[in-house]
Amino acid sequence: MNQTVGHPILRVQDIHKAFGGISAVDGCSLSVAPQSVTGLIGPNGAGKSTLFNIIAGLYRPDDGGIWFNDTRIDGLPPYEIVHLGLSKTWQIPHELRNMTVLENLVLGAKENSGEHLLNLFIRPGEVRRDEQRWRARARDVLKLTQLAGLANEHAKSLSGGQKKLLELARVLMTDPALVLLDEPVAGVNPTLAASLMDLIEKLRLEGRTFFLIEHDMNVVMNRCDRVIVMHQGRTIADGTPASVKANPVVIESYLGG
Amino acid sequence: MSSVSEANPPAETPRLVRWREALRPTPRFRRQFLRAVIVAVIFLAFLAGLAALFGISILQYTLAGFRLSSIVIVAAIGLTVIYGIRGFANFAYGDLMTLGAYVALFVNMNLALSLIWGAIVSFLALAVVGILLEVLIFARLEGRGPVPPIVASVGVGLIIQNGINWGGTTQQWIFRIPAVTEIPIVPGIGFHWIRDFGTFVVGIGFVVSVHILLTYTNLGKAMRATADNLELAKATGINTKRVTYAAWALSCSFASTAGILLGLIGVLSPTMGFNVILLIFAAVIVGGIGSPYGAVLGGLVIGLSQEMSVPLLIWLERPDVLHLEHSTAYKVAIPFIVMIGVLIFRPWGIAGRPPAFARRVFFMERLTQVLGRRGDATEPVQGEGGG
Amino acid sequence: MAIDSGTWINVGFYIYVSIAFAILALGFNLQWGYTGLFNAGIAGFFLIGAYTAAFAITPPTPPSIGYPGHLGGFSFPLPVGAVLAMVASGAVAALVALPTVRLRADYLAIATLAFAEVLRIFAINLESITAGTIGIPGLPAPVEFNPPDAFLNATVKVAVSAALILVLLLVLYFMAESPWGRVLRAVREDEEATMALGKNTFQYKLQAFALGGALMGLAGWLFVITLNYIEPTGSSAATTLGFAPAVTFSVWVMVIVGGAGNLRGSVVGAFVIYGFQWLSVQLKDFAPTELKEGIPYLRLMIVGVLLIVLIIYRPEGILRERKRVLR
Repeated sequence: MNQTVGHPILRVQDIHKAFGGISAVDGCSLSVAPQSVTGLIGPNGAGKSTLFNIIAGLYRPDDGGIWFNDTRIDGLPPYEIVHLGLSKTWQIPHELRNMTVLENLVLGAKENSGEHLLNLFIRPGEVRRDEQRWRARARDVLKLTQLAGLANEHAKSLSGGQKKLLELARVLMTDPALVLLDEPVAGVNPTLAASLMDLIEKLRLEGRTFFLIEHDMNVVMNRCDRVIVMHQGRTIADGTPASVKANPVVIESYLGG
Repeated sequence: MSSVSEANPPAETPRLVRWREALRPTPRFRRQFLRAVIVAVIFLAFLAGLAALFGISILQYTLAGFRLSSIVIVAAIGLTVIYGIRGFANFAYGDLMTLGAYVALFVNMNLALSLIWGAIVSFLALAVVGILLEVLIFARLEGRGPVPPIVASVGVGLIIQNGINWGGTTQQWIFRIPAVTEIPIVPGIGFHWIRDFGTFVVGIGFVVSVHILLTYTNLGKAMRATADNLELAKATGINTKRVTYAAWALSCSFASTAGILLGLIGVLSPTMGFNVILLIFAAVIVGGIGSPYGAVLGGLVIGLSQEMSVPLLIWLERPDVLHLEHSTAYKVAIPFIVMIGVLIFRPWGIAGRPPAFARRVFFMERLTQVLGRRGDATEPVQGEGGG
Repeated sequence: MAIDSGTWINVGFYIYVSIAFAILALGFNLQWGYTGLFNAGIAGFFLIGAYTAAFAITPPTPPSIGYPGHLGGFSFPLPVGAVLAMVASGAVAALVALPTVRLRADYLAIATLAFAEVLRIFAINLESITAGTIGIPGLPAPVEFNPPDAFLNATVKVAVSAALILVLLLVLYFMAESPWGRVLRAVREDEEATMALGKNTFQYKLQAFALGGALMGLAGWLFVITLNYIEPTGSSAATTLGFAPAVTFSVWVMVIVGGAGNLRGSVVGAFVIYGFQWLSVQLKDFAPTELKEGIPYLRLMIVGVLLIVLIIYRPEGILRERKRVLR
C-alpha cells in the first residue's frame, strides 16, 4: 500500500485527532517526496483539511508525530513552522479583507525588520530598505500570479478566483520549501486553473514541493506525481495516479462514502 | 423499555408505570447525585471544623453566603441563557436587575400593594422589556461577532441606570414588607423569615422551574438545541426567533426577580444592579457559559467565596497581622480572583465544553514547555519514509 | 485683552481635558482599532497612571487629623512623573495581557472590567496609600505662578497639553503606519491567517496592549497636572471625569465616532464627545429648573443612545479608516 519515499521532506506518522468524541484523523501516516507535486484525495469528511491544519500547527494532534526535513514539528506554533519553510493556504480564502492586496502580500515576508517595534527607532535605514525590498518582491509575485493590476485594491473587492490567487501569492511570499495547498483550483475557471497549475510546475522545477488537496480529478490525474488517498481519517492508498485510480479500495471508498 | 407483556396487563395503569419510569433515577443521575452528596458532606465537615475553631457565630457568613448565592444563581441563570442563545455578554444585565427592583418598588410604594404583586408585575414587565430589546436592537446585530452587542448592551445599561437616576430617585429606598422578627438560632445568627428563607425558597423554586422547563417542555428542548448550535436548530425546523424571544423574556424576568431579592437583603439604589454585575459574570464564567446548571454551581462558588472570605479579611484587619483598613470591602475582589483563575486555566468553566479547535493557548503551552521541556521536540530522526 | 478671563479658563479646561481623553482614546484605538483587543478596563490603567504620577510629583503629606495621608511625596519633576506613570501603566497592562489577550473578545472585556473595578476598590479603601475618597489635593501644575494667576495657569496647561498631543500623534502615526502596525491590523482582520503567515500574534497583541496601557497612564499624568486633584470615585455630577466605568464607556464612543484605526479620528472624537458633555455643564444654568437636576444623567443617557445607534448603523466610525496605498 505505501511506497517507500527516498528521503521524504514531510513525514506524518500515526496522527490522531478527535473533536469532542468524533475522530477526524484516526491513525494517519504518509510521506511526501521532495520536489514533487503530491495529491491528497478522498471523499468528503475524510479528514484531509484537518490533517493539513495539524501539519501547519493550527491544531495540536492528540497523538503521533510529524517531521519536516527531519525536524519534528508537531506541537510547534504555526509561526515557527512557517519559518522552517512549511506554509499552507486555506480552503476558503482567508484574505485580510480590509487591507489591500499589496499589504496582504507584504505581510508574508519572513524577515521584515520593520515588523519589530524597536527597529523602527534604532534601525530606521534598515527598516526602509527591507520594506522596499519586500514591496518589490511582492510586485514580482503579483505579476507571477497575474494580479498585478489589483495591487492597491482592498482584498474584499476581489472575485472568488482572484482571492484564490491571492492565497497562493501570499504563501509564495513566505518562501516555502513545502507548500500545502487546500483545494487551490476549486471554483476557479479552467483557464486560470491551468495557468495556476503551470505556475506550480514551474515553481516545482525551482526546488519547491507541493502537497495539495483537490477534488478536481483532471488536476490530480494529470499534474500529480503521486496521489495519497484518505478515508475516514487514515490513508488507504498511495501511489501513481493511474494505480490509485484503478485501486478497488479507493473506488469503494468514494462510492460507499 | 416496558417489561410488561401484552398478554397480561399489569395491575397498575400504564400511566402510573410511565411516571414511575420517568421518575426513576438513571445511572448517570445516581452518579451525579452521589458526587453532589459527597461534596456536600465535605462542605459540612469543613463548616463544622470552622465552627469548632472560631465559634459558631462564624456560620452567619455561611448563611450570608447562601443568601447571596441564591440571588446570584437566579441572576446567573438569566444571564447564561442569553449568553448561550444570543452569544454575547449582556452588560446591561445589572441595570435590568435594578429596573426590576424599581418597578416592584413602584408597585409596592406608589400603588400600595404587597411586594408579591410588585414582583409579579415586575416579572411580566421585564419580560416585555427583554423582547423589545431583542426586536429593536439586538436582532439587528446578529452575526456581527461578540463585540457590537456588548457595546449596545452597555448603551442600554447607561440609559436604564441614568433614567432611574433622573427619575428623581437618587436616594435609597427599602421595600415595604411586613415586619418580621429574626429567629435567633444561636447568639449572633438570626434567621429572617423573608430575607433568608424567602430568598432560599425563591432561589430553589427558580432553579427547579428552569430544570423542568429545559428538560420536559418542548420550548425548553428547543432552547437547548438553539444554544448548542443555531444553524442546526434552524435546519431542524425549530422556530429560533420564538426561542430567542422566549430566552430574552426569561432572562429579563429572572433579572427582575434577582433585583428584587437584592433589594430585599439591602437597599435599593440606582447602581445596585451594576454593582453586582461582575459577580454575576463571574458566576456564569465559572459555571460555564450557556449552562444553567453551571450557573447554579458558579453561583454557589461565587456567593460562598465572597461571604466566607469575610472572617479571613477581618483577621487581616488586626494590627498584628496586616492592619488592613476597611478589609471587608475587599470581599468583592475574591470572586474576581476566582474568575480570573478560571479564565486562565479553564475558560470554559465547570459545566462548559472545551473548544474543539484552534490553539490560542501559547501562554500555558509555553509555560509547560519551559517548566518541563518536551525532550524530543527537535530531535533529528533518521529513517525511511512510509509507515 | 478681548477674551474674558473667566471664559478662557473655562475653555482652557475643555481643551486640556479633551486632550487627556484624546490620549486615552489613542491608547484604546491602538488596542482595539488596530489590534482588535476590546479593553473594558480603560479606567483602571488611567487610574494607575494618575496615582503613580500623583505619588511621584507631590510634596510629602503626612497623615493628620481628618486626612489619612498618602504614599509618595517624592516631589519629582513633572516629566519624571510622566515617565513613571507610563512605565507603571504599561507594565501592569503587560501583566494583565499575558493571560487575557488570548481569550475571546467578550472574555477579555469582562476580565478587564473586573480588573478596573478591583483597582477602584483598592484605591478607595487603601487609605493610607491613596488617601481614599478624600483624594489628593494640591497636585502641582506645570508652572506655579506667584501670585497665583488662573489665567496664565490655564494658558500654560493648554500649551503643554497641545504640545503633548501633537508629539504623540506624530510618534503614534509613525508607529502605527509602519510594518509593525500593519501586523497589528492583520491580527485584527484575521488572527489565524496572520499566524499562518508566520507572525507570532501573541507577541504583537501583548505589545499593543502594553503600549495602549502606557498611553492611558500618560493620560492619567496629564489629568493630574491639569486638574491638580484626584480621587477614585469621581464626583457624582461629573461621573465621566474620574475612574468609574463611565469613563471607559465614553472613550469607547469617542473611538467609535472617530473610526477604528484612525488616529486623528480619535482626537476629533474626544473633542466632540467631551465637548458635548462640557457644553451640557455650561448650559446648565440656562436650563429650566426641572431639567437642571437631571443634566448629568441625561448626558450619560445620550452617550448610551449614541453607543447603540453608532454600533448598529456606523460601526466603522463617522470618519472612515483610510486605504493604505503602498508605493
